[in-house]
Formats: sequence, structure tokens, C-alpha cells
Amino acid sequence: MTDVGHLEPVASDAMNPTPNEPPVSERSRLTSASEVIVLYASCLFVALALAALLVELASDKGSWSSVYTVILDGAVRSPGRWGLTLGVSAPILLVALGTTVSGRAGLVNIGQEGQLVVGAGFTAYVGVRIGGPGPLALLISLACGVVGGAVWAGIAGVLRFWRNVPEVLTTLLMGVVAANLVGWGLRNQYLLLAPPEGRANRNQVSEPFALSRRIPRITLFGNEFPISVFAALAFAIIVWLVLGRTVVGFRLRMLGRNARTAQRAGVSEKRYGVGAMLVSGGFAGLAGGVMLTGGDFGNYQLVANFGAGIGFAGLLAALVARQRALVLIVVAFLFGGLRTGSGFLRSTGVSARIADVVQGMLVLAMLLPPAILYLRARRRALAATSART
Amino acid sequence: MTSVPNDHVGGEHSSPPAVELIDITKRFGQIVACDRVSLTLHRGRIHGILGENGAGKSTLMKVLIGLVLPDAGQIRLHGRQVQIVDPIDAGAHGIAMVHQHFSLVEALTVWENVALGDVGRLDPRHVRQRVGEISEQYGLDIDPDDRIAHLPAGMRQRVEIIKCLRRDPEVLVFDEPTSVLSPSESEFLFDALRRVVHHEGKAVALVSHKLPEILSVTDEVTIMRDGRVVKAGPTAGADASTLARAMVGRDVVLRREHAAFGVVDTLIEMPVDATDTTADTSAGDSPAASVETSEVVAPTETPAAAPVLRLVGITATGRDGRVLLDGLTLEVHPGEIVGVAGVEDNGQRTLGDVLSSLHDVDAGRVEVNGVQVATGTAGAMARAGVAVIPEDRHDSGCVLDFTVAENLFLVDPNRVSRRGLISMSAMRSRAAELIDRFSINCTGPDAPMWSLSGGNQQRVVLARELSHDPQVLVAAQPTHGLDVGAIEYMSTQLRDAAKSGVGVLLISTELEEILDLSDRIVVIFNGRIVGQMAKGDVDVERLGMLMGGADLSTAGAQS
Amino acid sequence: MGNFISALGDIFSNESAYRNAVIAAVVLLFAASGELVAEKAGTINISIEAMMLAGAYGAAVGQDQGGVWLGLLMAAAAGLVVSAVQANMSHRLSADQFVVGLVLNVLVLGIVGFLVGSNEPDSHIVQRFEVPGLSKIPLLGPALFDQPWVLYLVYPVIPAVWFVLYRTRWGLEVRAVGEDPNASDVSGLRVNKLRRQTIYLTGIMSGIGGGYFLFARSGRFEDSLIGGRGYIAIAAVIFGGWTLKGSVAGCLAFGLVGSFVLTIPSLGYQSIDPAFLAMAPNMVTIVAMTVFARRVRQPAALARPFVRGLK
Repeated sequence: MTDVGHLEPVASDAMNPTPNEPPVSERSRLTSASEVIVLYASCLFVALALAALLVELASDKGSWSSVYTVILDGAVRSPGRWGLTLGVSAPILLVALGTTVSGRAGLVNIGQEGQLVVGAGFTAYVGVRIGGPGPLALLISLACGVVGGAVWAGIAGVLRFWRNVPEVLTTLLMGVVAANLVGWGLRNQYLLLAPPEGRANRNQVSEPFALSRRIPRITLFGNEFPISVFAALAFAIIVWLVLGRTVVGFRLRMLGRNARTAQRAGVSEKRYGVGAMLVSGGFAGLAGGVMLTGGDFGNYQLVANFGAGIGFAGLLAALVARQRALVLIVVAFLFGGLRTGSGFLRSTGVSARIADVVQGMLVLAMLLPPAILYLRARRRALAATSART
Repeated sequence: MTSVPNDHVGGEHSSPPAVELIDITKRFGQIVACDRVSLTLHRGRIHGILGENGAGKSTLMKVLIGLVLPDAGQIRLHGRQVQIVDPIDAGAHGIAMVHQHFSLVEALTVWENVALGDVGRLDPRHVRQRVGEISEQYGLDIDPDDRIAHLPAGMRQRVEIIKCLRRDPEVLVFDEPTSVLSPSESEFLFDALRRVVHHEGKAVALVSHKLPEILSVTDEVTIMRDGRVVKAGPTAGADASTLARAMVGRDVVLRREHAAFGVVDTLIEMPVDATDTTADTSAGDSPAASVETSEVVAPTETPAAAPVLRLVGITATGRDGRVLLDGLTLEVHPGEIVGVAGVEDNGQRTLGDVLSSLHDVDAGRVEVNGVQVATGTAGAMARAGVAVIPEDRHDSGCVLDFTVAENLFLVDPNRVSRRGLISMSAMRSRAAELIDRFSINCTGPDAPMWSLSGGNQQRVVLARELSHDPQVLVAAQPTHGLDVGAIEYMSTQLRDAAKSGVGVLLISTELEEILDLSDRIVVIFNGRIVGQMAKGDVDVERLGMLMGGADLSTAGAQS
Repeated sequence: MGNFISALGDIFSNESAYRNAVIAAVVLLFAASGELVAEKAGTINISIEAMMLAGAYGAAVGQDQGGVWLGLLMAAAAGLVVSAVQANMSHRLSADQFVVGLVLNVLVLGIVGFLVGSNEPDSHIVQRFEVPGLSKIPLLGPALFDQPWVLYLVYPVIPAVWFVLYRTRWGLEVRAVGEDPNASDVSGLRVNKLRRQTIYLTGIMSGIGGGYFLFARSGRFEDSLIGGRGYIAIAAVIFGGWTLKGSVAGCLAFGLVGSFVLTIPSLGYQSIDPAFLAMAPNMVTIVAMTVFARRVRQPAALARPFVRGLK
């Protein structure tokens, strides 16, 4: 070191023409913060305005203002509605948490809808067959749901890492397979179909869960919701902690950001990758089980098309929250609200599908600002570091 | 401040020069990459542009071929002022560049690559024919239907040249053309270059940081430093030491600086005793000189200790079935720097990958301190104490989207965690220590890695790898793309590591770097070690022949 | 098992099974021929599903307003609109291409569902047109040459895609940016612009594909019309190892399987649960990709965004 000492002034001059990041003044930091807010706000506004325009152009019955008012009423303002919204949000949050885990590992799992249905199927199958005290039976059947969802996603994970088949496609294709398999199960009594005396004259329904095997519901301020809401919140905090504060989470994120560096540092792509898929599918499966046993989604029994788009909603929520577990809580509630709110739309004569449109528009709009900001930051960094090469 | 090269006496000067860059200024943020730089290229002449990494020469050339738009200044071609907005535009003006990093698409054939970047209808037959013509004309021996992926580096550069010449440009720019070539391939390149210039009256700009190259090939030279022209004029009258001094802005004293500037010839003529170096290349009156030279380590005796790293018969194949390493055997002893010399693409990358657990082997074994280490198993090499400064740090050395602190503990996060829980405060404070110790220039432990300059990212990698108490340090092209100060720093670190007993394996295509740092040199060719020599009896000519794949089994016996 | 084999025998000798199979394969061909070009340039278009659906809806509206040709035109336009969102978000703003594609699928499904719910366009199936002579070939003749005439549009498309990819400068540039965007950039190509163009092409092709399917299959628009065929088209390209020949083979195979199994019940084999028939194309696709995906070399820069100076 000593010999370099006296050369330092010259050398450092040549080698570091400027510090890497020019010092950010307080003022410019403020401007950039307000820039970010304006960017997000304007994207949101444009999204909602476009959805409103669609209502105005395509529907002669409702107006955009009535649509938004009614959605808000249905989601939170009317009596008892926010409890329902909470109940609907819980599975969305669970699915999104799983998506966050696989997403952080760099995997694109987009078959949550199928994993959720398989999870619900496993839960339904086990839940009406095993004996034992109610709460224990409930936990066991939910655990089976987790296993079901995990297996379904795990297949895609195994194919990805052993056979190099893109998980984007397999998870999607497996989703269709899952829906059909459960449909088949619902047509056969030895699988899921309820015995004739239990289903009245309906086809394709499973035996309803006994009262003691349902997730308990509580009432707060006139709003009723299952306690699985608290479990979902707890899971959000756990996922946040694990991803951000533990060695396992650190390695998982490393894998997602740079698989080769991770391999060199001791993160096995196969082990962590498949593990992330299992967790992802497990959460979706749990969401399916919670929907089945928690109420708010039919009559505690499995029916055809049971998923009802909750898997997709969870996936979109994860995308909007950009894989941050705590932000997810808010986004999941928002998406739950859109869903419960759209139930009130029938009164206006506007198709409830507009809720899907609003949801899609919101997601699209929320993708823009981070992309713009990221690109700009990278370009600036590039301009600063590539100088004089 | 800036001086325009003097016009020479010569016939062509009745017409205006082929290219005049006048007072070109280019800023990147607060950095002035080019500060009122002027440059004149004449037909039939080779103009050398010499400077350290980071002196602004590449930016200047990017301005000329339209990859970078200047903030101020003029470009004149044959006396007419023009604007060059992109490479296609430059091509239309008759300016073409042979790139430092190849602009070839491996999956395509030679003729397809040559056609890339043209405009108008695609006429395969015509392109193929033209490739054949040029190949014949300059003796390049290229088949237009070969796939680039199947060609070695030297041949690829010929394709680059054909790609340039096909549009029959008037001005040719070569950016560090010899960095990927063996000495004989470099000879071949310069022969071809002289033919092009003298037979066809083209103007050539040759960008290089290698002094001997500039001295032997060019007619005129412009020296840049810190974004300015510091010296310009005919090459004929100049001598190596003056040019070297102009390039660094101070007396050239250190042997390691020879490495940086590529003064191989001087080095070779030197006895191993370092003091003479000073006398030869600089005025030698700097007080620094004596201090500096004493630093140079005496030739090391072969260490008697057991090897800390042993590779035995390593054979590895690529995904396409190509043999990348072919029975490679190698030993590194504690405290020793072993240099792996060789022309690019002879298995160096795979060697680094095997030692990073990124590539599994088909046969052979790796031992660290006599214990066999599993190959291809995630993290096995790192756990065994093999530290790596990878050839491409963005590929396997760091995570750009992580913070500096996270990057410092990528390999062993357990150092800052208890029972699987990471302590953020421990991570930050330990990171701050390392940032301080390795003089990493960043806003703090939480700065994102991508916000750092290349040199500082490299320091983060170095800091992490050295702080994990390695047994072996593998440094693959550790100074590639760094400027002279950073090169110096890296060299010191490698030497210090060796001094502390670490076995250092230096894999480099820069022969000067190898010669400068290694205690022992082995040559890699086609995935196997084809020869070795101790520092004391380096024979550069023989080294060059080994690198070029000459069969020296007989010659090898005598040393 | 015996049942199954005799079912297979019946299917392979059933003329209308072939006819339906070709109809199902052709919609994949339209989509995959665009998708192949996009993937050659480095993009996996998950939103191809949305482009096809938008195309089908555009076709329905167009036919309602002014006939089949207007329908096809609007189908192409609708596909193009979706592709413009995908292209500009993923290759101008470098948002993640899968994320954008997925959101578009959900969004377009929502919009189309909403629009149809508010105002259903009056569309109908296009009449068959018998190609003289060729349609008389036994078994295959009617399947290939006695079909709604919109199907015949696919015949020139396949060689055209080959010609564009391998014989034009644009095709060369497309292949280059999918393999090595950095080298392409240095050579003077506009990497992201080229990629956007391939996505536009995919939008037009799969829009027309969606429109064709409406006209040839059902005639009445439902939001389940496409039902995952876009994903199968992507799988066909992967299965085909990113070659035109392979992709065409993949489309034909997946289309035939999907269609053949659907004819099983109508042939009197009621004992097979429809669920297995419905999932069969997906299962076959997954198995086929599992068997073949590892062997082939994908475009080196597939699904990697390009920002100059970043690897």
C-alpha cells in the first residue's frame, strides 16, 4: 500500500473522474419524490378515466359516476360490506403471497387459478372423510389443500429445472388441466361428488363441510368475516420477514436476480427454485381451502368453476405490489373491494365485467411508473459510469 | 490547449484530409469525456490514438462512428462539415469501425453477419461473392457460409474486417484490435492493415493502449489523457519513453505500469533486475523512482509446500458438445501467483467457471488443500475456500439490483446472521468497514450496486472474496476494462494476497499482466496446459508460440 | 382400452373429424406464424391470447357492420391495438413482458366480456367453398379444400413467413436481435424497434387468426372462444424448436389432438369423461414440450429485455 500512497492524487484523479452518484441535494430529492407521486397519480387517473370512457361509450344504462359510487358502496360503505370484502380479500392475499415468493426467485408462476382449485379439491376430499374433532380435521384438510396446490405448482417447477420447459406455459396449461380434473371429480361420487341425499337435485357439488369443520367467523362492528383473515395477515408478515430478513430469503432473492452468481454462492437453482414453486402453489392451495371452509364463497362446498378468478386476482395483486409482502395487504383489499363492489352493479344495469376491466386497467397503470423510473435511473447510472470508456 | 497534428509533406495534401474532428466536446453527467479534442486523419496513413483506459479515446471514436453525439465541435469529411447521427449514417459517409468487442452474432453465418446493418434489398449471392472477393484480396481465408460460433477469435476478427471493408469505406477505425489475438495473429492483422492502407489509400485510426503496437504500425500518433489531447505528431520521431510519459502525465517507473501500457518489448529486454527499467523508459530523475522500484518483488523460489489447489485431468464439454477443457492439469502453491496465459477462447472461461461451481466436469478432479471438492455443486468451491474474481462480474460476481452491503455478503450471509436471521445492523456496519478498507467509492452500504462505476463494482467483488479468508484466489481478467489507477490497485491486492499465503491463479489474455504479476506462467491452448515456465526464465517468443498453438514439445524439453 | 382403440380407428376414418381438426389447427397456425417471428426476435408473447380474442371480437363487429372482409380487417386492427400496448410497454419501457402479457389477457377478456354483455354483435359462420378438383382427394381433400374460404388465407401465410424470416433483410435483422441484441445494436440495428415490429406482426396475424376462428368455427362470439389456444400456439413454437417447419408440425399435431378427442363422444363413446377430452390438448402439449424442449437451442436472447449498455 505504501508505494501507492504518494501516487494517489494522480491515480485517483484518473480512475474516478467523479464519485459514482453525484450528491443528491435535498431539493432535488424532493422534486423527484413529487415527480414519482405525480407519475403514479396520473397513471391511475388515466386508467380510471379509460374505464369510465368505456362505460359511457358501450353502455346506455349506467354512467361512470354511478358505477364508481356503486362499487364503493358494495365494497365498504353499505352495512356489513367491508366484512365481506375482508373475507374475499384473504384468499387473494394468500395467492399473492405465494406469487411473491416464486416471483422473487425469478419464476413466473401464472397458474394460481389451477393450483387454487386443486387445493380446494384436496381440502374437500379430505375434509368430509377424516374423523376426529372439528378444528383438527379442519387443519388437516387445509394442510392437504396446501399439499395439493404445492404438488400442482411443483410439477411445473420440476419440468422447468430438469427438462427446461418454461414454467410460464406449464403453469398456465396445468391450470386448465386442474379445472377439468376437479370437474371430473365432481361427477364421481367416489371422488368429490356429494351423495344423492346431500345435494338435493344439484349436480357437480361436493358434500358441504360440517359446521364444526368450518373456519370460525367473528363479527366486528356489524361486519362478519372468517378468522382466516388474521391468518392471511400473519402470513403476509411472515413472508415479509422471511424474504427480507433471513438467509433463506436472501438466497432466494439472489437466485431471482442473478442465477449464476447465486449458483457460485451456493444457491442451488433446483432446490431453491422448486422450493419456491412449492411454496407458491402451497399458498394458492391454502387459498382454495380457505375459500371452501371460510364462507363468502358459496355454501362451504366445492362446485364447478369454484376458483372464480381469485387466483388471477391474487396474481395481479402481486404484480401491482411489485412483490412486496406488506404492500400486498392493501392491494389485496383493494382487489377484494372491486370484486364485492361489482356485486352491486346489477342495480345499475352495467355488466359486472366492468370490475375486471377496472382491475386490469389499474394493474396496467401500476406497471408503468416503476418501469419508467427504473429505466430512467439505469440510463442515468449508465451515462455516469460509461463515461470515458 | 489542444494541438492539431502538423501536416506532413506529401502528395495527398493537395486535397483536404479525409476526416477532421475539430474541438469535439462530450460530457457524461459531470464527467468530461472529451474536452475540445481535435484529430485529423489522412488518406493512406495509419493514425494511432494512444491513451490509458478512460482517457477518452473510445468516446472520440464513438463520436466518429455515430454511437455518441458530441455536445460541441465539428466533424469534417474531405473538408465538408457533416453530422453523423448513428452508425448507419457513418457507414453512408464511408466510415466503418472494427469493434473491440465483436459485433458478430454467433448463431448467424459469416455472410449474414456481413450483411447486417446494411440497408436495401438482401442479396445473399452478391454478399457471399463479395466476402469471397475481399477474403481473397487480402488473404483472409474466410468461407462465407461458416457459422461464427464455429470460428476462433482470430478468424472472427477477420470477419469483422470484412464486414468493414465490404462497404468499401474510406475511413477505418480499429478499436483495440489485438486484445483478443495471439502475437502471430496480431502480425497477420497488421500486415493486412498495411496492405489496405497503402494499396487503397484508406485512412485508418488505430485505437490502442499498447505502445509497441503504435510505434511499429502507425504513421502518426495522437496521445490522449483525461479527455484531452496531450501530444500529437508523426510517429517516426517519437520514442517510447516520451510517449509513455505523455500518456500517463508523469514519469513511468513501475514495472506494473509497463504491464498497463503494454511495453512488453522493453520489459523483455530488461534483465530481471528492476532498477534498469527506470533508466530505460523514463528520465529516471524522479525521486519516486527509487522508492517505487524497490517494491518490485525478487523472483520467487518455487514454494516447497503442498499445492493448495490442484486440478487433475479436468475435461469439460459445452452444451453443444464442444470440448472446452481437455485433460487440464494445474497446481497452485500457497503464496504463489500462477499466471494462465493464452489467447481468448481457449478454455479460460470454462476454467474459471469450473472453479466457481458454474460448470461441471466430465472427468478429472479438483482438490483444495488435498481434499477433493465436488464440481458443479452450488457453492462447493466457495465453501472450500476458492475465491473468484470472475471475468464478467455482472455474470457471476455480483447482483446489480442488490445493495453494496448485500453484495459484500452474497457468498456467506451467515457471517452477519444468527440462526438464519440476518442482522441488518451487523451487515451495514461490517459492510461499512469493508467499504472503508477497500476504498469503495459509493454513497454507503445501501447504495444499489448498479449505481457504482465498473472499477468500484470490481472492488466490491474483491472485498467480498478477500474478506472470506480464501485458500485460493482465482482472478480472471481482473483488470479488464479498468483504468490505470484501478489496475495498479488490483495488482497490489493480488500480490498482497499471495504474500499472505493465498495461492493465486491469474487467468488473463493480457500477456503483459501475466508477465508482470506471475511467479510461474502456464500456457493454455485448446483447453489444455501446453507449457509452463518459471518467472526467471521467461522466453516471450516461446510463450507467444505456445499461445498460438505451436507444437513445442521438443523446445519444451530444454527449459 | 379396446374401446379406445376402436374409437381411434373410427376417428381416423371420419371425414368430419379431419375437417374439424384442420379448422382447429389453422387457428394455431395463424397465431404461431406470428409468434414464431416475435420469438425469433426475442419476445414471448403471452398476450397472444388477448390478441386472438380481440381479433375474434373485432371480426364479429366488422361482420355485423359490413361483412366478412371488414370483419377480417377489424380483426387485424384489434389484434394490432393489443400488440401495440404489449410492444410499447415491454420494448419501450422495458416492463416485464410476461407481466404485461398476462395483464393484457385479463384486461382484454374483461373488456370484450363487458362489450359483448352490453351489445352483442350479430355475426355468423362463413360458408364453405369447395376448391374444384383438390377437394376430391379422399379423406384429406375435403378437410383441406372444402372449408370456409377464410381458412385458405393461411396457405400463403406459411411460405410468406419463411420468406420474410430467411430471405429478407428484415428477417435477418429479426433473427440477429433475438440472438445477440448487443452485437446487433453495435451493427446499427434498432433492437427494440425491430422487436416491437415483430409484436405488431404477431398482433395482426393472431387477430386475423381469431377472426378466422370465429367465422370458421362457431359464427357466434363468446368470450371463451379462444380458450387458451394462444398458449398452445406458443407451446407449438417451443415444441417446434423455433423453426417454421417444427412450429407448423406442432400446430398440426396439437390442433389434430384437440379436435379428434372432441369427436369421440359424437362417435358413440360416451364412457370417456369429457374432462379428459378437454384437458387432452394441454396434456399432450406439456408432454411434447417435456420430451422436446431440452434438445433444441432457443434464441439466445429470448425473453431478455434490451437496454443499451446493460447485459
